[in-house]
Amino acid sequence: MAVGKSNVRFDWLTIFFYLALVGIGWINIYSASLSDSAQGLFDFSQIYARQLLFIILSIVLIIFLLAIDAKFYERFASIIYIISLVSLLGLFVFGNNINGATSWYSFGAFGLQPSEFAKAATALALSKYVSDMQTNMKEFKYQIRTFLIIALPALFIIPQPDPGSALIYAAFVFPLYREGLHFVYLLLGFFAAALFVSTLAFGFPWVAGGVVLIAIFIYLKRRKKRPNLVKYITIAIASIAFAFSVNYIFNNVFEQRHRDRFNIVLGKETDTKGIGYNTNQSEIAIGNGGWLGKGWTQGTQTKGNFVPEQHTDYIFSTVGEEWGFLGSLLVIALFVALIVRVLVLAERQKNQFSRVYGYSVAAIIFVHFFVNVGMVTGLFPTVGIPLPFFSYGGSGLWGFTILLFIFIRLDASNFVHS
Amino acid sequence: MPVEDKNILNRLYIIAGGMFLFALLIAVKLIDIQFVDGDKYREMAHKNTTKNFVITANRGNVYADDGSLLATSVPKYDIRFDAVTVSSENFKENMVPLSQELGKMFGKPASYYQNVFRKARANKNRYLAVAKNLGYSEYIKVKSMPLFRLGPYKGGIIVEQRTVREHPIGKIAERMVGSESSQKPGYYAVGLEGAFNDYLHGKEGRRLKQKIAKGQWKPVYDDNEIEPQDGYDIVSTLNINIQDIAHHALLKQLEYYEAEHGTVIVMEVKTGEIKAVSNLGRTKDGTYYEKLNYAIGESHEPGSTFKVMAMMAALEDKVIDTSTVVDTKAGSKSFYGRRINDSHHGGYGKISAAKALEVSSNIGLATIIDEGYSKNPEKFINHLKDWGLDTPIGIPIKGEGKPMIPEPGHSKWSRNALPSMAYGYNLSLTPLQTLTFYNAVANDGVMVKPLFIKEIKSWNREVEHFDTEVMNDKIASEETINEIREILKNIVKRGTGKSLYSENFSMAGKTGTAQTEYWMKDWASNRRYVSSFAGYFPAENPKYSCIVVIHKPSIKKGFYGADVSGPVFKRIAQKIFTDSPLVAEVANLDASDKRIETDFESYYPKAQKKYTLMPNLQGMAGMDAVSLLENLGLKVKTQGIGSVSQQSIKSGENIKKGTQIVLKLS
Repeated sequence: MAVGKSNVRFDWLTIFFYLALVGIGWINIYSASLSDSAQGLFDFSQIYARQLLFIILSIVLIIFLLAIDAKFYERFASIIYIISLVSLLGLFVFGNNINGATSWYSFGAFGLQPSEFAKAATALALSKYVSDMQTNMKEFKYQIRTFLIIALPALFIIPQPDPGSALIYAAFVFPLYREGLHFVYLLLGFFAAALFVSTLAFGFPWVAGGVVLIAIFIYLKRRKKRPNLVKYITIAIASIAFAFSVNYIFNNVFEQRHRDRFNIVLGKETDTKGIGYNTNQSEIAIGNGGWLGKGWTQGTQTKGNFVPEQHTDYIFSTVGEEWGFLGSLLVIALFVALIVRVLVLAERQKNQFSRVYGYSVAAIIFVHFFVNVGMVTGLFPTVGIPLPFFSYGGSGLWGFTILLFIFIRLDASNFVHS
Repeated sequence: MPVEDKNILNRLYIIAGGMFLFALLIAVKLIDIQFVDGDKYREMAHKNTTKNFVITANRGNVYADDGSLLATSVPKYDIRFDAVTVSSENFKENMVPLSQELGKMFGKPASYYQNVFRKARANKNRYLAVAKNLGYSEYIKVKSMPLFRLGPYKGGIIVEQRTVREHPIGKIAERMVGSESSQKPGYYAVGLEGAFNDYLHGKEGRRLKQKIAKGQWKPVYDDNEIEPQDGYDIVSTLNINIQDIAHHALLKQLEYYEAEHGTVIVMEVKTGEIKAVSNLGRTKDGTYYEKLNYAIGESHEPGSTFKVMAMMAALEDKVIDTSTVVDTKAGSKSFYGRRINDSHHGGYGKISAAKALEVSSNIGLATIIDEGYSKNPEKFINHLKDWGLDTPIGIPIKGEGKPMIPEPGHSKWSRNALPSMAYGYNLSLTPLQTLTFYNAVANDGVMVKPLFIKEIKSWNREVEHFDTEVMNDKIASEETINEIREILKNIVKRGTGKSLYSENFSMAGKTGTAQTEYWMKDWASNRRYVSSFAGYFPAENPKYSCIVVIHKPSIKKGFYGADVSGPVFKRIAQKIFTDSPLVAEVANLDASDKRIETDFESYYPKAQKKYTLMPNLQGMAGMDAVSLLENLGLKVKTQGIGSVSQQSIKSGENIKKGTQIVLKLS
């Protein structure tokens, strides 16, 4: 057992951030799910009581995770990844449909959501592959294989359907960038996203016209350096083709509910059908908080159950209402601190495996956090993913706990070797 | 895989910087929500969580003249069952005993309920209707049955309470009393409920509540923001005994004659109080129900009952007197090229004007009016206007029918208009209008407005009192009135109404048999009539006036006013007086019941002034004599039945209040 040995040093600061987030999360779940019929803290018909149980089980899980030798994770990364893929595929046969998505295995009263664990497994597999001596991220062959490792679980998750969870896999672009993936890929990603949003917001003809104008402008400005005209035309045509396909996909492949979500966020459609109800109620709750908030369990919107799914995906609205701007800022600061801490730790890892894994952890937590809070505050369209460590749910909590504590274990062994 | 140091640091900064930017974006959005738009959201939050709850006021009751309830609001309960919330243990254990008790209570086999519950459980029905419209005691009983007694969560019982308007006397007089709209709950438009809705309705209260948890609301303050004010009660003039008699008498006749619809109104002569209104219409399967308020709403050609108006005008203007001879020919006479016929085969020949009305000769009346007024029709029309027959009476109840009286210049006016009007065609009136006129005849020429409401009460405090309103204090000279009354009496004695004559009690009135829809092509093959009878009783010192109108009786069974409507009138008159202590317990009248005393109070002093000497009662119907003497304050004892043959106080003697008089009837 590694635990207790004096040469193993866990990063207590990260553990502190973790405990703080889980603790504050539970306090808010308690407030959001408190009802008159509750009978004490351990009335397991109550959501907050079940979350308390999940937290206690997480502690047990943590002890196991930290007890295992760090080498285990690297050695068995591929096997863990394959088991994870099989568990995702198994859903198509044994899955249980809850709220319209077949994302669950049922064991009596409990359910497990394998997609929550697949993130950690994918991070392990990716770290192992990238850290392989053979792999060179600058070569297209390896880029494609890396991409496959990331895309496979996402492809299995999309048809559940759970596009939100699949979106998270885009996070892996950060560790890959760190490991030498060309900046162009990152830029390409942003450029594609910008094109995507502007096509939806302004329409295809404007974007096409805009692309042509910008291309001509840049070309004329750099004329003295004799740029390759063909390259410019190719990029411009590719951009226009992309914008056109976005237009086409949006209107012909997306379902109306998806279109509505985007159009409401982009302000193109006034929400008369109550599609943006969740977001609207969530914004009301947050707005109701003001500077210092209404105080714990005093939020009228939270009490009145106006925000749907408030204890899960919309838990941040409870923070906004009951703890106000300062409370929200504290939570955001905790997340930023955790992510930065993990990044810093990742950077000081001596072996590449741990470093890539650390970056993956930071990136996954960050994308979850940003997409979730963006959705709750109305920055983003509705994408149903939980807030890490905060949202109610055993699978989610355990998934993030495993993700983070494997890294803490890896980091601890870093010192052993030194 | 070596990466340059500087490059690595750059990449770390780019990633960290990008993340920081995103975090900043979120902070900016938070500022936007919580401060920039904060007031807007807080306003919305306030609206979200507080709500003004309307507290409905209790609707007032409608009472009959003696204080019996005609309409009141009572709570009703619907029981439903949530088949999902119950645990399988509780379900298994209690389902059979519950089904048995429900079966016992609602008279269905227990197996029926077992099936229903099992099916609901299998289908996950959370809103199974178990029983509807339960009264409070039934509700309490159901609530304490096995399973249900476990309450809403464990026992799955769902209770829904409503307030329902109930009519303790049933469907009788439903149109007059009024009822809740079936399309719009809580909305009352018809009858007394509609007319006095503002009083009955009360005022809604309000209470501000705040949403605290799932579907639960807590009052913000201890008191209501606006206290609800209960509606006032209204005491109507309707008398449930008379109403009951009128309803059943009309119903019986409609059923026998398979008529399309009919109406009866009974009015108290001196006060104009409407004692009963019955409106029955036929359904497709031949039953009758309170369909529309024909009594006040249906304006139609009255036919022969209008001859009384025509005759009164002629007598008043001295165009004729009762003994003027009219030639009615052999039952058919041409007026300006249009033929008018009498229903009596062979005609009546030369008869007196009085006789013409008695036998209801169309030719007779047409001749009188045409000869008297053709040069000056306005004079005739003005009488009708004086009697208010050209405009609605102006009662508070909605839907009063509009009468039509043509005059020169009117589209319905022609040279033939006058003779037609003489016997009740080419004009239209509502039954209530006709009755109001007959009531004035009975009331010595004083035309009083029909009165539906006596008072408006708040608990026992009187809010508003309604007094009898005089519309026309003298519709004709006393002489004319007496002549008309004599004729009306004779109509029943020996005229068209003689089939209704009874020695035992007296009544006066006019029959009417009007053709209706005669302008339609199929009339010759399918003749349709409106049979009516309007009059009052007793013939002397009338107490009640009454009109019966029956539309489209089956002509195979009869259609004459005297045959179809007359018997309803007679039955009502007979019943009122056989039920009334006036005749049955003549000797005890002194200690008589309060109700009758108050009824008489209004015209008692008048009667007192008029007669200080004993009248001659010889030959007068016993009932009439008794009512007359009672009005004079005498104690009456009768021996035998029939009309008066001897009186113990001779005519011409002074009357002393309270003395006893013995009448011998034979």
